[in-house]
Amino acid sequence: MITGEQKPVEEIRQMIAPYKRILVLGCGSCVAECSAGGEKETAMLASALRMAARMNNEDVTIEEMTLDRQCVMQFVIQLDKVIDPYDAVLSLGCGAGVQAVAEMYPEVPIIPGLNTEFLGETKAQGEWAETCLGCGDCMLYHFGGICPLARCSKQILNGPCGGSVDGRCEVNPDIPCAWQLIIDRLDKFGGLDRLEDIYPPKDWSKKQGGGPRKIIREDQQK
Amino acid sequence: MALFYCQNVPESREADRQALEEACGETMALFPMPCSGRVEPVHLLRALEEFADAAYVITCPQGACRNFEGNSRAMKRMERTKSIIESIGLERERVGLIVCSKENPKSLAALAQEILEDISSLGPSPALGPVGGN
Repeated sequence: MITGEQKPVEEIRQMIAPYKRILVLGCGSCVAECSAGGEKETAMLASALRMAARMNNEDVTIEEMTLDRQCVMQFVIQLDKVIDPYDAVLSLGCGAGVQAVAEMYPEVPIIPGLNTEFLGETKAQGEWAETCLGCGDCMLYHFGGICPLARCSKQILNGPCGGSVDGRCEVNPDIPCAWQLIIDRLDKFGGLDRLEDIYPPKDWSKKQGGGPRKIIREDQQK
Repeated sequence: MALFYCQNVPESREADRQALEEACGETMALFPMPCSGRVEPVHLLRALEEFADAAYVITCPQGACRNFEGNSRAMKRMERTKSIIESIGLERERVGLIVCSKENPKSLAALAQEILEDISSLGPSPALGPVGGN
């Protein structure tokens, strides 16, 4: 899923300062899972912003709603019925959600309330970790299901580097050495021979070399 | 004041709540919870926004939670709430959490009175009041 974190309230207040009627718009998908932009967080932020406005004698109206998804037009279109009275929308969606809403309503400023962080996995309650860079050319088969690009601090494809201590990364001892994990895992199912191959430098052209990426599936289109 | 309390707190049955509410009048709004772990920052923020100068939580003693970790979750959420209200310039003391003592248990009414005394110096909350229809 896509993870994010709420921007500091002060930064948000600076961005919404020019507007009098603001809709705080949550998203019930990925950013709800990582406790950044779901219904609960949207209610909390809207409440805090209303109190801040009162304390500063600002004559503004701040209301809230949450869409199931901000990055899909069929969900965003629900705003048609409610968006008219607002001068601006403060989106608690990821960057894709903010842009999807902005594209649907070009006359309305859409303000990002989150910093979108990474593609990650829920490791434990309240803990999310980056496990995929979305490189466009998945190599997980070769590395036993553990991505050295996302999880090795040095992004080494022909590891290990030799610097890890007790299975911990020498760059950041808070994380496990990705190459230790790769070797342990390949060993468990007899796949160590996959490491006999030498992997050339990653071809990043499939990630961002051609500008923004797009997937077209004709069988799914109208 | 808005007071959320775990129903595991001594002398916090419905009759005790009614008696306390009658004694305090509009000074206090009482919210019995099956477990303090049910309290979310949004409950405390909404109370501060809509009617309360302060919002407090009373939990059962450490290690006595019927749901194992409800009171420790409430503590973490209280810290989050404090940081949110601080970020908008409101005093951190406008929200707080009291953990019941196992050795020296006090009634809901006694704890509520102690909280009222503690927050009396805060005065009316600047976050309350009608500006711009909010």
